[in-house]
Amino acid sequence: MTDELVVSGLEVSIGTKKILRGVDLAVKQGEVHALMGPNGSGKTSLAYTLMGHPDYRVDAGSITWKGENLLGLAPDKRARLGVFLAFQYPSAIPGVTVASFLRNIYNAVHAPKPAPGGGENGQVPKYTGIPLAKFRRMLEEQMALLKMDPGFAARYVNDGFSGGEKKRLEMLQMAILGPRLAILDETDSGLDIDALRTVAEGINATLSPQMGVLLITHYQRMLNYVKPHFVHVLMGGRIVMSGGEELSHQLEANGYEWVREQVGEPEGVADEAPEPVAEHA
Amino acid sequence: MSLSATQPGVGRSVLVGGAATDGAGSATHSGPTDWATLRRFSERHYEPSWLRDLRSAWWQRYQDTPLPSGQEEEWRRTPLADLPRNAELLLDAPATELDHDADLAARGVIFTDLRTAVREHPELVRAHLGIGEPVESHAAFWALSLAAWTAGTFLYVPRGVEVDGTLIARLVTDRADVAFVPHTIVAAEPGASVTVLEELVSADGAAGWFGGTVEIHAQEGSRIRYARLQRLGDGVWNIGAQRVVVGTDAEVTTLNAEVGSRVTKVGLDVQMTGRGGVSRVLGLLAAGGDQHIDINSVQELVGSHTTSDLLYLAALYDRAHAAFYGRIVVRPGAKQTSSYQECRNLLLSPGAGAEPIPVLEIETNDILRCGHGATAGAIDPVQLFYAQSRGLDADEAERMIVRGFFEQVVGQISSETIKALVLDALARRIGSSTAFDEADEADAA
Ligand SMILES: Nc1ncnc2c1ncn2[C@@H]1O[C@H](COP(=O)(O)OP(=O)(O)O)[C@@H](O)[C@H]1O
Ligand SMILES: [Mg+2]
Repeated sequence: MTDELVVSGLEVSIGTKKILRGVDLAVKQGEVHALMGPNGSGKTSLAYTLMGHPDYRVDAGSITWKGENLLGLAPDKRARLGVFLAFQYPSAIPGVTVASFLRNIYNAVHAPKPAPGGGENGQVPKYTGIPLAKFRRMLEEQMALLKMDPGFAARYVNDGFSGGEKKRLEMLQMAILGPRLAILDETDSGLDIDALRTVAEGINATLSPQMGVLLITHYQRMLNYVKPHFVHVLMGGRIVMSGGEELSHQLEANGYEWVREQVGEPEGVADEAPEPVAEHA
Repeated sequence: MSLSATQPGVGRSVLVGGAATDGAGSATHSGPTDWATLRRFSERHYEPSWLRDLRSAWWQRYQDTPLPSGQEEEWRRTPLADLPRNAELLLDAPATELDHDADLAARGVIFTDLRTAVREHPELVRAHLGIGEPVESHAAFWALSLAAWTAGTFLYVPRGVEVDGTLIARLVTDRADVAFVPHTIVAAEPGASVTVLEELVSADGAAGWFGGTVEIHAQEGSRIRYARLQRLGDGVWNIGAQRVVVGTDAEVTTLNAEVGSRVTKVGLDVQMTGRGGVSRVLGLLAAGGDQHIDINSVQELVGSHTTSDLLYLAALYDRAHAAFYGRIVVRPGAKQTSSYQECRNLLLSPGAGAEPIPVLEIETNDILRCGHGATAGAIDPVQLFYAQSRGLDADEAERMIVRGFFEQVVGQISSETIKALVLDALARRIGSSTAFDEADEADAA
């Protein structure tokens, strides 16, 4: 099996602020990696950098995907290569319904428009993307799996959604796009226990031996549903500890203070909690 | 503004007769025409004398009304220095092209070119032409148009007649380097209902002056949906005005889609006169290059239990600038009314700008609601990143977000015909998003 995602020596800053200070990580297909760490340790920054957020400047290190350099690729190119990020705070797109958004992104990833001038006899074939009926069937199936009300499809993307609805829509997008690498940034936060189970079932249903998962979480409870092969602790902009599933239980029992004692205070600044971001209930 | 004996006004009795004064007062401003020319035009078209008198009175009114100095609150943001004021009046104006179903006439509906209407239905035109005072911010331009219109549209729906489908009137000229001041009348008698789109098209290139005016009269219990799609040439100064009078329990929706022109400076005056009337005043602006758009609106609530909601959305690219000076005036008798004004601007380039200025004047305590909201800002970069992370390239992500932004108004357009034409015109500026191709396809399925 080849390494799918390889991150090595990754250093990232935003503005003048250094956030990641040399991250090494490899995620193979079929593996679930849990990434844990205190608030402000850089988990979201790592996720954004993997997806290609333009504000996160890579100062050193590399990110490769199946041997190909991801750095310098726009986010949409990465998405078309099979990378997916479930956002910690998904954005609203008022005026765009869930159904049309999903079909648009499905087509963008799986049925991109033919380049102009292509086609036989110099004619550009009329672009249609996935047939509507087929798409609707797929959508209905996936929504049922995530226990979503069919009326959900007619609402505007994340517009006025509760925290739980937003997370479900992230999982629905993942299911529709069928990525090869899924980065799930605190998909469990803001969910009550029933919603957590539903979302976890959705993740498990999408999981396949071809897919790698980087599951960013604060809480061990998510890992009861989605079993990780590896657990990593990000602190001070580095992965300071890695282990198997048992590491998540140790963290749950002992907290990050225990990690600090084990590894010594990472050099550089201590993690600071970011400004609290209100999660919409 | 008060009436005086030399001014046309609500009552026809205030009109002065034609020949004696003949509009020949000393000109206070040169303009695109003169009274002699207008009189010849009127004679050549065998216009009835009441109409010539009416033109004369409005010409006098135009002469007596100073052009905005630029000091007025409404005109501070749109200097008129570059208005091509010597462009010649378009006398040889095109007739309105009409698109409708043939049996309208059988039901007494009149939908025709305004000049034709004068010949065929003079009394009806007389009853609806130039009623009331000018739109205040545009008083001089209103007077000019009523004196000097050479084309226009006339739509009249008799009592109780409900017109299905969408009527379309197109005013198309291949000239731009002219002054063109057509007038439109939409009148619905009690209980009548109609949906109409007026499309204005002129040539790109030359500097011109378009001063089209609109009067909408909605009598008791009538429903009017009026859309105006402005696709004037890129050198045109569009200085129009619209007056909407909403009677008892009547319901009027207007939509102004401003796509063309170099400068657009439109005055909207919505009069909620009858008890229980409802108006929705919608606008979609898509501007780029050095386009300048400035809207002055007045929603005046006079009758009790009336509702008036204004919503303007602007997508501004390049160095385009939009100003919006909107007043809501709630008169003492307007008890239990609800009024709102919302103006939202999406700035799609650092050079674009918007200046929404709401003014509320409330003269009674007994209201349900009166408020405003105004926003101006760029697309949230996180929103763009979010859409891009799903595989949409940066351009499609932006198009989708802009098109979604417009949906707040587009979703209120009940006529599919109007929706399609407006979106097609907007697409020249904002592009078309594949997310919405699919939505349309889904609707059709
Ligand atoms: N856009 C930004 N501008 C400035 N600082 C940021 C920005 N995003 C994140 N940070 C800072 O980077 C650090 C890591 O944040 P983040 O990656 O969100 O951590 P986590 O997801 O682990 O809570 C924090 O100190 C945070 O304040
Ligand atoms: Mg985070």
